[in-house]
This record gives sequence, structure tokens and C-alpha cells, in this order.
Amino acid sequence: MFVAGCPKNTALSHGKTTALDSVDLVEMTDDMTMKILGDPLVQAEIRTRGTLKVVIQPVENKMIGEILPRGAKEAFVARLRALLAEQARDRFTWVMNRDNWYAIRDRELDRGPDPDRVQPEFALTARFSSITDESSKRRASYYLCVYSLTDLNAGTLLWTGKYEVKKSAVKGFLD
Amino acid sequence: MLELFLDSSGDDLIQTGQPMKPIRCILFACLLPTAYCLLLTGCGPTKDERKAHYAIEDYRLADYGHATEVLRPLANKTDENYVLNNARLGSSALAGYDLDTAESAFLNAYEVINSTGTNSGGRGAAAAIFSEKMKVWKGEPFEKAMVNFYLGVIYYMQHDYENARAAFENSLFKLRDYGESKNKDDQYRKVESDFVIGYIMLAKCFQRMGDEQNALKNFNRAVELRRNIGSLADPRRNFESNVLLVVDFGQGPRRVTNPYDGAFVGFGPKPFEVGSIPIPRVIIGNQVAVGPRSGDMAAMPTIDLLSLAQEKRWQDIDTIRAVKDVVGTGLIAAGGYEAYRASNSTGSEQRRDATAAIALIGAGALLKASSQADTRTWEMLPRTVFLIPLRLPPGRHDITVDFPEISGLHQTWRGLVVPDRGEATYYVRIQRHSAGPYDWPPAAMSQKAPAPTQGTPGAPGAPAPRNPFDPPSGPSSAAPLPGGTAGR
Repeated sequence: MFVAGCPKNTALSHGKTTALDSVDLVEMTDDMTMKILGDPLVQAEIRTRGTLKVVIQPVENKMIGEILPRGAKEAFVARLRALLAEQARDRFTWVMNRDNWYAIRDRELDRGPDPDRVQPEFALTARFSSITDESSKRRASYYLCVYSLTDLNAGTLLWTGKYEVKKSAVKGFLD
Repeated sequence: MLELFLDSSGDDLIQTGQPMKPIRCILFACLLPTAYCLLLTGCGPTKDERKAHYAIEDYRLADYGHATEVLRPLANKTDENYVLNNARLGSSALAGYDLDTAESAFLNAYEVINSTGTNSGGRGAAAAIFSEKMKVWKGEPFEKAMVNFYLGVIYYMQHDYENARAAFENSLFKLRDYGESKNKDDQYRKVESDFVIGYIMLAKCFQRMGDEQNALKNFNRAVELRRNIGSLADPRRNFESNVLLVVDFGQGPRRVTNPYDGAFVGFGPKPFEVGSIPIPRVIIGNQVAVGPRSGDMAAMPTIDLLSLAQEKRWQDIDTIRAVKDVVGTGLIAAGGYEAYRASNSTGSEQRRDATAAIALIGAGALLKASSQADTRTWEMLPRTVFLIPLRLPPGRHDITVDFPEISGLHQTWRGLVVPDRGEATYYVRIQRHSAGPYDWPPAAMSQKAPAPTQGTPGAPGAPAPRNPFDPPSGPSSAAPLPGGTAGR
């Protein structure tokens, strides 16, 4: 009763999961920022075109048995965009996702002629995959998170970076 | 309270060292453990438990909105009922079509269910020593699987097939606990055969994502496990379906205790005690489209949770509780014998026997009181789920699901929207007090999504009404489906 009554001993205070979490979010996006900014092909493209017009897409969830809610799907690319915008403001122009663009126009503006929307040249996308297995003893996941910068007109992949992590959680008494 | 046990002169056993009269000694021996029991367990249902009980009553009366509002604050409390209350909230919100609340609630439950070590930090030990109710309820494997199943259904309704797939995969993971706890693939296979809903919905997700190979693999697996669902698991039928009805029927299993001492005896009722699952009919307008005598037998039960619950994997704590119960009974019996001896002896011998009797009965009662079963149950679970894929003309339709074998058990929805492409999924919770008719869209949904208004529904050449479940427009959301058809 004393133990259960302790305010810090909640249903959420001790559990350990194998899901991707905020630590992964920070590590992954920091790592990708460094890699994308240091990539020679990306640098060459910036020198040729000036700023890159990039649109971002939410993460594609290809993970086995791992749910990635809408907010998290956006957070994993939004943080990367924020870091790039902060650290290389003059090298990227961020273009709004087309569906969101039209949705917000529908809400806020009268319907009119086709807007002069800046056409993106690149898409920043992410695809998360995992191999997950669970038994009565443990749950284990290996994650491969791949980020890509794709040339929308040419269809070529300008840059790709990956983040891998392995997680496991051993089940104990009452799990 | 101890004053109750003092004799009229104020003397007591400890203060005076004087022997008590035999009758008082026995009275003391009997009342002390009662007092212990009252101290330990004498709380009855807490305020929150009573509120949850009212919400369950509301749910059974099909007042889903009120049930949701009652459960919402309970589900926010991160106590030992956090998962249970979130599962309850998810069920209520889903039945009331408050999909945002349902998703969030089931996701909360999912996160804790998928965690390990939730009951560490003293909770596990406290549950074993004092009361099992102190542990964070995470449910039996079938309950965990159903949390994942409903989460998957919600994502499927919202056309988020990636997350729906993940949730259905996870639902199948949860049942492995059964197979591994008893030695055998056959055992796991039996449990799996009772959870073909996981395979069918997984196959449907793959199909909607354009992965025909994996879709076929999972449809085949479902049929392999249960032969009589061939029509339901037909890939072509599912490919062409533009409406999916997910129909929950009946009451799920409950934890049953022994009425004498509250010891856990398993889940009830057993399937044979309540009879076989009736087969529903689906009536579109006035015509029977699916069900007995319609020629379409897609509406077969996909699961029997009453049967699945009989596969309960006994946890370590059950063993501890059973041992405590047996030892407690033995101690009380020994204490009774000592009390009997005390009543037939005198002097220091009587004092010694009386002390021993009190100690034994007290310890035995404490052990028995702390061995009370944890009867927390997710009461909203159905006995079975029917999955009914339909191909209907686009537009609006009145749809009734009824059970010819059970008089008066039906539910009618007026104006359900049938899209010309994609698949709209409707959740129907069949209960005694939920006959309807209900109008589409339900209140919880119409507050959040614009109601269909375009054209004349169902009229030839008129555009199909917009379904609140439709994915947002744009090429990125209309994923091409196999067979050369760009969406459906």
C-alpha cells in the first residue's frame, strides 16, 4: 500500500519499451543534419542551383509491430528540417507539403486562380523499418531509419543517410 | 477499536497477564482476524472504481458519450488501473465514434502493455505480498491482443494502413505468450485459430497498401487456421469491397472467483454455458445481403473470446496467491484447534494456547485476506467480432445488422456513406439497448468532420457523398491499388 501509494510509482514510471523515443529522435536528427550538411554531392548541388527548394514528407512506417502516430511521424522529419533551417539557412528553401498547402488555402482563402506556389525541386523523406520479435521472455527490435533527399524532377537520389539502433526489453515478473 | 476486546473491568491479556475466560478467548481469537481483514481489505470499491462501474453501465445502455466523459478523467490517472481505464475509455469512444479519443486511449494502453518492468519499483512485490490489485493491470494475452486489434481498427477506419498493419502484427505477438507457456506449436496454433481477425485485418492492410503477396499470405493463413471463413478471407472480395462492417457481439469473459473465499477460479462463462455464437444478417434497405439464406456466408464469427480466455496463462502471482490461500486456511484451522484446546485447559497452559490460537488465526486471516483474487476485467470486450466486407453501389444506404436467432437484437444505421473508391469502415456494437436507428454521421463525428452534403446521394451520375473517413484528397493519399486500378 505504501509502495503503490507513492506518487512517483505510477504506471508510467518504470516501464521500458523497445520503441523509438525522444532520445533516438534527437540523436537521429542531429546525426542526419551533420551528414546532409557534410555531403559533397549536396554541397555541389547547392553551388550549382543556389538554395535547394525542398518539401518534406512524414515518415513512412514500415516497422513491424511498431506504431508511429501522426505526431511522431512528423516530428522525426520536422526536427531535421528545423536543424537544417537553423544551421544552413541560406542553403535550403522549405516548401510546404502540397496537401497541407491546399488544405490551409481552403480554410483561409477564397478559392481563386492557381496560386503561385513555389515548386519544390527536392523531397526530404524518411522511411523507418524494423525487425521486431516478441516472445514471453523478451521483445527485441532492430531499427533502420533511412532519410533521403530526392530530386523530384530527375527522380534521382541526391543524398541518403541512415540511423540504426537495436533495442531489447526483457520481460520480468508480472510482464 | 481494541477496546472492543477488553473485558468489562478494563483488563486485557497483555496488560494484566491474567488468563482470559475461555469464551472471551475464543471471541478474541475470532474478532481479531476480522479486524485485520477490515483493515487490509475493508475499503470496498473506491470512488474511482464506482465511477468506472457507472461508466460500464452507461456503455451497456449504449450511452457511449456519457461513458466516455466519465472514463476520461479516470484514464488520465497513472495509477494501477491506467491501462484498464484507457481500454475502457477506448471501447466507449470507439462505439460512440469519437475516434480521436479512442485512438489516444488505446495508444496509452498499448504503450504500457508493450513496456516491460512496469510493476518494478516495489509494485510487483507489494502485489505478491499484500494484494494483487496493487499491480498495474496489463491484462491477459487475449486482452492485450484486443487492445492492439482495436487500435488497428481505428487506424484502418482512418485509412492509416501503415499503423493499422503494425497494430495487427502486434496483436498476433501478444498471443505468443499462450503458445510458449505450454509446450507446443499445436497449442499456439489453436490460440491463433481463435484470433484469425488479426490475420484477416493484417491481410486487408497489406492489400490496401498494394502488397498483394503479403495480403495473400495472410488471407491464406487465416483460411488454413479456420476453414469456414473462406468467403470472408477471399482476396478478391476484399479487394472489391467498399464497405467493411466490424460488428462486436456479446459479452466477453469475466474473471470468476470462488464465492466462499474469493479465490480465483478462472474466466467465465465457458462457451458451452452460453451456447454457440449466432450468425448475423446484414440488411441493405429491405434486402438481406449477407447471412443465413442470402447465399453469402461471409459473416462468420472470427473469434471466441470466451474460448480464448480459457487458455489463461497462469502467472507466477497466481501460484503465490494460491499458496497463500492454502497456507492461510491451514493456519486458521490450526488456530481453531488451539482455541479449542485453550477452552479445555486452565492456568498458564490456557494462556499459551490462547496466544497461539490468536497468532495462528490472525496470521492465517492476513494471508487469506492478501490472497484475494484480482478480478479487474475489461468489461466492454465482446464475445466475438464479425468482419463483413461488402461491395455496394456508392451513395447512402440504410444498413441493419440483426440476429434472426435472437429476437429483438439488431442495430440500424441510416444514411451510411458508401464511397465509390476506397473502403469505408463502420464499427457496430450490438447490445440489447443499441437497436437505433442511428443517423450517419454520429454526433461525436459530425462535431469534428463536415457532414456529407454534396449532390443527391445515390442518384445516378451524382458525385458520391464525402465520407468523413475519406483520406485527404491528393495523389499522395490515393495510393494505387493492385490490378491496374488507380484507387477504388
